[in-house]
Amino acid sequence: MKRQPAEATGIRVMVVDDHPMWREGVARDLTEAGYEVVAATGEGRQAVRIVGAVRPQVVVLDLQLPDLSGVDVIAGLLATAPDVRILMLSASGEPQDVLDAVKAGATGYLVKSAGRDEFLDAVPRTADGDAVFPPGLAGQVRGEYRRLAAAPAGPADDTPKLTERETEILRLVAKGLSYRQIAERLVLSHRTVQNHVQNTLSKLHMHNRVELVRYAIERGLAE
Amino acid sequence: MADAPPGSFEAPLWRALAVFRVYALAYASILIARNFQRFARPAAGWVAVAAMAAWTAYTIYAYARPAWRRWPLLTADLAVAGACVLVSPWVIGADNLAGGMSTLPIAWFAAPVVAWAIAGGRRRGLLAAALMGAADLSVRGPLQQHNLTGTALMLLAGGAVGHVARLGVDAEDRLHRAVELEAATRERERLARGIHDSVLQVLALVQRRGAELGGEAAELGRLAGEQEAALRALVATAAPPTQDTELVDVPSAGGTDLRAALGRYAVPGVSLAAPAGPVTLPANVVAETAAAVGAALDNVRRHGGPGTRAWLLVEDEPAAVTVTVRDDGPGIAPGRLAGAAADGRLGVAQSIRGRIRDLGGTVTISSGAGGGTEVEIRVPRVGA
Repeated sequence: MKRQPAEATGIRVMVVDDHPMWREGVARDLTEAGYEVVAATGEGRQAVRIVGAVRPQVVVLDLQLPDLSGVDVIAGLLATAPDVRILMLSASGEPQDVLDAVKAGATGYLVKSAGRDEFLDAVPRTADGDAVFPPGLAGQVRGEYRRLAAAPAGPADDTPKLTERETEILRLVAKGLSYRQIAERLVLSHRTVQNHVQNTLSKLHMHNRVELVRYAIERGLAE
Repeated sequence: MADAPPGSFEAPLWRALAVFRVYALAYASILIARNFQRFARPAAGWVAVAAMAAWTAYTIYAYARPAWRRWPLLTADLAVAGACVLVSPWVIGADNLAGGMSTLPIAWFAAPVVAWAIAGGRRRGLLAAALMGAADLSVRGPLQQHNLTGTALMLLAGGAVGHVARLGVDAEDRLHRAVELEAATRERERLARGIHDSVLQVLALVQRRGAELGGEAAELGRLAGEQEAALRALVATAAPPTQDTELVDVPSAGGTDLRAALGRYAVPGVSLAAPAGPVTLPANVVAETAAAVGAALDNVRRHGGPGTRAWLLVEDEPAAVTVTVRDDGPGIAPGRLAGAAADGRLGVAQSIRGRIRDLGGTVTISSGAGGGTEVEIRVPRVGA
């Protein structure tokens, strides 16, 4: 699916990256492409503090910030602005970090070495609610479902499971097929493929939230 | 002997020896108090008790200091105890000794033997026991079986304590080294994560800016990009397994991580998708599977034409591990498989099949989704 550049216009973006040259480079690229960069900061705490005021649609977030972990920043952002979409950027692509961020609610992920066009394409897709999902992350998400299935079941068996269709689509994403190619191959609409991929992420996110609440209750932290 | 670190295994042994000395001294004193009237020289008996008491106090003080536990003190210890044994005939009377009366120190003279054993191990312990035993036998007149019992027990004590002391010191050394190694490894991993991230950051930045500037800078950017991809693959697949033990405990029967072996193939143009946790298989299975994947990728490079990309997918299931190699090259047209044998392509396929068949696995080669070729390598988990 080819996006028209016009769609970039007016999308409000916040850039959170502690590396000044990166932050400026990313902000410049976004501005040149017609996005509205509403804030750029190098600190996770500040990002969480101002997200309610600047109301971005997309937060471009470096996973390795000096003050807060990626998971904490994502949780903080979503607590204040539940509708904001988070596109992660990571230099190392440490699998566990990325997976934890997805479970915390991030919906897009790119390594920093991704090309400029790839990045500029990812932002409107993220704003649109599309899961920007590189093959590597698909493999990790699939592995995470396997791990959850293999782990001993808790008191209530609410372990998230993939449907056959979702498994099939996730495998194809991991093998490098674009959503368009998957849609053609499975005779589905592009939108349906997108929804299936989103579901694989949101189920992990939901499960993670349930687990956190359960953990809090067990520890007597919640009422 | 190397200086033991504080709180070492030896310290309790030295304390136990001090306790033994005090009890042995008390026992000797009681027997001397009961029998001294029959001694040849009763007054000398009390002098001997005083001397033993003084030496007991001194050795408790001296052996508590690791730096003092050396040959001058150990030799003096043996000499003092030996002297107490050797003066026994003169103090007690040879007739009394021959009649079954004990020597002056009784069990107290075993203390230096134990000290030698703790400080020097089994052989030194046996040597000290032999010397002390010889002194004991020399004052008892004709050799008789009941005279030998004390010496035999002392030899046993010297040998056993020496052996145990060595074992303890060795175990402690090993533990110490293991703890040091673990701390060093953890620190190295922590540093590596931080450094990798900043290095990757800069390499990615050089790549990005280089591409924007064009010309020679673009070439520099391209080189930085290659190194960035190689380093990132290394970091991603060699992530410390200690991070999340939950992930490790499923199937970790002393194998190696397949992801780490495949990491070297993740160069620009080749994407690697794998679970976040280790995919553990026996080392030879990992090596053979990785070699098969390498052969499949070679095939892609050779026949796919320039700009052909490849994707690796690792799937870890309870019964088997599957690695899929997909490319977006021209693919194999239907009916070309036979023809492929002629131009050598099947050779590569055969070497992949051969390796995997030896592992009890299967290889499926098919026309890939969306064009290209797909090689699916499935290796069963042993015992699954």
